[in-house]
Amino acid sequence: MHIPDNYLSPQTCAVMAAVMVPVWTISIKKVKAEIPNVKLPMLGVGAAFSFLGMMFNIPIPGGTTGHAVGGTMIASLLGPYAACIAVSVALLIQALIFGDGGILSFGANCFNMAFVLPFVGYAVTMLLRKKLKGKNAELIASAIGSYIGINAAAFCAAIEFGIQPMLFRDAAGNALYCPYGLNVSIPAMMLGHLTLFGIAEVVYTTAVLAFIRKAAPEMQEKTAVSKTPLPVKLLLGVLIILTPLGLLAEGTAWGEWGADEIAATGAGFTPAGMTSGLNFQALLPDYSVAGMPSWLGYILSAVIGAALLIIVFKLISMIGNSKKENATA
Amino acid sequence: MKMNLELMRLIRRITITDINYPAQDKSRILPALRLSVAFLTILLCALSRNAIYVVMIIAAELAWLCVKPPAVIWNILKPVLLSSLFCMFVMLPAVFMGHPRTLMTVSLKVFESVLILSQLGSSISWKKMTDAFRTLHAPQLFVFTLDMTMRFLVILGRYSNAILEAVTLRRVGADHWKNAGTGGILGTTFLRAQQMSIETSEAMSCRCFDGEYRSYRKHKIGTPDMLYTLLIPLLVILFVYTQKAM
Repeated sequence: MHIPDNYLSPQTCAVMAAVMVPVWTISIKKVKAEIPNVKLPMLGVGAAFSFLGMMFNIPIPGGTTGHAVGGTMIASLLGPYAACIAVSVALLIQALIFGDGGILSFGANCFNMAFVLPFVGYAVTMLLRKKLKGKNAELIASAIGSYIGINAAAFCAAIEFGIQPMLFRDAAGNALYCPYGLNVSIPAMMLGHLTLFGIAEVVYTTAVLAFIRKAAPEMQEKTAVSKTPLPVKLLLGVLIILTPLGLLAEGTAWGEWGADEIAATGAGFTPAGMTSGLNFQALLPDYSVAGMPSWLGYILSAVIGAALLIIVFKLISMIGNSKKENATA
Repeated sequence: MKMNLELMRLIRRITITDINYPAQDKSRILPALRLSVAFLTILLCALSRNAIYVVMIIAAELAWLCVKPPAVIWNILKPVLLSSLFCMFVMLPAVFMGHPRTLMTVSLKVFESVLILSQLGSSISWKKMTDAFRTLHAPQLFVFTLDMTMRFLVILGRYSNAILEAVTLRRVGADHWKNAGTGGILGTTFLRAQQMSIETSEAMSCRCFDGEYRSYRKHKIGTPDMLYTLLIPLLVILFVYTQKAM
């Protein structure tokens, strides 16, 4: 679901980024008001879970792959606004350091995975929590919420891909950016997400939430701990070690091909916007280092990504604390 | 004036580190051993011909850093980010000359090296650092000069900061007076430094201190030290392996 650069026109990217600006502004305000500073590092842990979830690629027949996002999981733990910020930062680190998702399309990726996914997922979860009763009602609600959330996000991504050939063509009538229209993009994106990727999101969300409910229930409370509970740290460690499983999935996710691959996917040509567009060189492209075994590169990328996210949110919490201290002084 | 204030802030950081960190320095590993491992890691990083070794060390350092309290993380990262940004700025012409990877390679190495030193500096008090230098048989004159420099930086920094504050409070009027103020502060500080160096020499004579640093701390080599020593061959093996991978 990570839209690379040059798949969307610069105009679309600008609109999506403009849409995200008020979302980020409101989310930051809400997080400041609702989440105590001592709990902000938990956003980093949530973002790290989301980052790691996105590294577990799952293959489906046809050569395409997908992954869980974990947006509803963070929303269930910390609220949708916190989830929006956490997933946005995770996506930023993925784009800047690992080249997963474009720089220009960062706004669109955030709209899909950091806004639509957690907010839809959270809304469904809250609605179902009121309706469902029983011991596992919360988990079931989160599971259904996460399934609907990821499918809503995938649907938005499919529309963003699909409108490109309708809006942007060259003089010969060829698409300038993504060459696939809505008739291809919607079935291609939704087929995977309604089946395996949706189930992956449900499994990831419920597994992590069930683990936290059992091993670190204090994390679910509003005025909870500032320190990350040990079981949660261990779970992060296990996930990091298991990330090379994501390499078992061969092929590239639909809509994430490189400019050299797209002609062979059935398009028959490489759109002009892709050959002459932005070509950002990430520090660790595709979660790998040249010359390093891919499984090791994947583990190191997981460690660096998760650690950076935790550090970023710890520093943000420190800034918040010092501002409060200055205000009270 | 602004530059002087920045210098004061840097000096304050050294002072704060030395005052605060003895309480946080709970490591049971011999400081000299930690210093040796840090130097070895930086040396191997500099010698590395590819990014694999550097990225591996950065991953390990970041994993260690992310479990620290936010204030400690910031103290460690501040010089790292500043030096990396400065390095990127200096290396920027490489991008325009068609070698963007060079910028990344050098900046990564600077990031890694300063991160290691910054972590070491934040977790070992200055006293233990001097002790570590002596344990590693660094020349007496080197340790003495280093120790005196650090102490005088702090003392003179505080002194010039006090004068600077006094001058700033009284500063009213034309520009030339402000410049005279800066020169005055530097001159007074220099004279004070001279006077203090004589006082230090006299104090050394009174206390029969001939400039030779002796370690009075008896550190029993334990299991943590043994395990930490294993890092040395491990780092070398890792380095050799990663260089072959190129």
